[in-house]
Amino acid sequence: MATVPRKPIRKVLIANRGEIAVRILRALREMGIRGAVIYSEPDRLGLPVLLADEAYPIGPAPSRESYLRGEAIVQLAREIGADAIHPGYGFLSERAEFARLCRDAGITFIGPSPEAIDAMGSKIESRRLMIAAGVPVVPGGQDPLPDLDAATAAAEAIGYPVMLKASAGGGGKGMRRVPSAAELPGAYRAARSEAGASFGDDSVYVEKFIENPRHIEIQVMGDLHGRVVSLGERECSLQRRHQKVVEEAPSPVVTPELRRRMGEAAVRAAAAAGYSNAGTCEFLLARDGSFYFLEMNTRLQVEHPVTELVTGVDLVQTQIRVAEGEPLGPELDDVEPRGHAVEVRLYAEDPYQRFAPSPGRIRILRWPDGPGVRVDSGIYEGSEVSIHYDPMLAKLIVWAADRERALERLGRALSELRIEGIRTTVPLFQALLADADFRAGNLDIGMLDRKLGAGELRPSTDGAPDDLPLIAAALAYYERANQTAAGSPSANASRRSRWGAAGRHGAMRGGSWT
Amino acid sequence: MDLIVRLGIREERVRVRRVDGGFEVALGDRTYHVDAGAARGGLHSLRIDGAQHEVAVHRADEDVYWVSTGQHSAAVEVVDPLTHLASQTRGGKGGKRRQRVNAYMPGRVVALLAEEGQEVAAGQGIVVLEAMKMENEIGAEHNGRIGKIFVQPGQAVEMGNPLFELE
Repeated sequence: MATVPRKPIRKVLIANRGEIAVRILRALREMGIRGAVIYSEPDRLGLPVLLADEAYPIGPAPSRESYLRGEAIVQLAREIGADAIHPGYGFLSERAEFARLCRDAGITFIGPSPEAIDAMGSKIESRRLMIAAGVPVVPGGQDPLPDLDAATAAAEAIGYPVMLKASAGGGGKGMRRVPSAAELPGAYRAARSEAGASFGDDSVYVEKFIENPRHIEIQVMGDLHGRVVSLGERECSLQRRHQKVVEEAPSPVVTPELRRRMGEAAVRAAAAAGYSNAGTCEFLLARDGSFYFLEMNTRLQVEHPVTELVTGVDLVQTQIRVAEGEPLGPELDDVEPRGHAVEVRLYAEDPYQRFAPSPGRIRILRWPDGPGVRVDSGIYEGSEVSIHYDPMLAKLIVWAADRERALERLGRALSELRIEGIRTTVPLFQALLADADFRAGNLDIGMLDRKLGAGELRPSTDGAPDDLPLIAAALAYYERANQTAAGSPSANASRRSRWGAAGRHGAMRGGSWT
Repeated sequence: MDLIVRLGIREERVRVRRVDGGFEVALGDRTYHVDAGAARGGLHSLRIDGAQHEVAVHRADEDVYWVSTGQHSAAVEVVDPLTHLASQTRGGKGGKRRQRVNAYMPGRVVALLAEEGQEVAAGQGIVVLEAMKMENEIGAEHNGRIGKIFVQPGQAVEMGNPLFELE
């Protein structure tokens, strides 16, 4: 193997915002590397800017005029003498042309090569690559079935149950689940006519139907010397409309033997694409233990902290070392998870108003603390949640010796957390913790949507008396009325005596109900 | 001090009295001894007969307080009985209960789907609010008649601002 020259990184430009920009800054500071960030106009006072060594404006609020300006970002990196760009997730992170721009400008892109991004970015190309590498994919084919005979032959070859899907499809239209051969003729006719009516193209193909699968993904890391390792799985089955909501590691159902087999498949997948740096192979896990490659995410994932907590590996620091040309160390061989980690994604959305977004100013913010609690956040008390970007505010991650204790710790941490001024998904997590299926680890990718659709997961009671909000509001009104009535000279005296005992003990610091 | 408090369709009379060691709050037929302290701006500790509750209270509008326990939050309207009486006389609907519906998120009013005085059914959309490029209908919680509408299309509203009255 050709030797890879070491390219030391002394300054990194972060082409992202929010919590992931903060996460990367933390890794850089621990490594003694200078961290520079870009910011759009509304992000001028965002947490990444406040924590960065250097910060540069990149444009107005809309992403395409700021965080997606690839050429301007590479140009900026050159001007400020950055050796590397970290793209985070989202934005430019999985755009091969951006990785290429970096390479052409002599800037290290902290991620895989543009060729690997291209190979994994195309569904058809990556599927072909995986089949060639012996990685299991969902049985079936994208080839249109011209008639019922072809459909019958294809379905027999795969084995029932199967799913008929429209080639031009999407959104469930032209999709038919076929439990056995008897139902095939009717389902085939219906799927074709529905596909034709919906998409103006009535071609359909057949795929193996996997009932209530889990979403299990494998974290891989590759160096520039051709070595790829697996760092174990994450269970990400709790999704709302294909958006992950809760992630954990390890999965409650993955045995060491299955972990080894899935890890080997993921490493084969990555190696087939000539993959380096951090990446994730997503699989569907069927109830019978068979698993199928879905796609590879060629970047750091939102949910990477759960892997960090159970493996002890700092994924962002490893990404940077690998990008410098350092080989992966022997300590990354056969990494086994230790304990259990759970992450919840805190969104500025109201789970009980159809997940309506809830932008605004964060009036009160208190993060949980104490044993086994980690918060990766992009907000602070007083900061504005902008309407322009993804509504994810932060991730709360807990670690404990086993799953049951991790869930108890999550409940404790959520009870300490206070976010006021906006609505968040916190009450949904509290309701999930009271859900028997979630507690038992009976998860699949449709579970959350089914439960929400059935009106389950309502806010749990917090043991407070029903009269509490009325009492609190009445006291606030009382206090304010007395203040106003007291007039300005005696208002100070009234202020001091406010709230009786607490005021006397000096616990109050300008606290006011109004 | 005697007050009227409203939460959703619930309405109660409250009497607040300062007593040694805090407050006595009489609410309906219940009486609570409350020791209250402000831990920091907007965040309060209420000890009610020994049980501790950390409550965030924010004055969202003239007489509307946004109260949150962390898991649950609600807009509570507080008025003194005189104001209450005056508003009932003005409306000419003495005895009828009105609910003020507040914005649960900041945003922009896109459209009004009902007018003042209109009879509406539970669940019927009244105001369309837009935030983060999503439109959300704010509806009637119960059957009733629309009283005053406080907003008009194009107007920006903050969380807790009153949108309309439902009688």
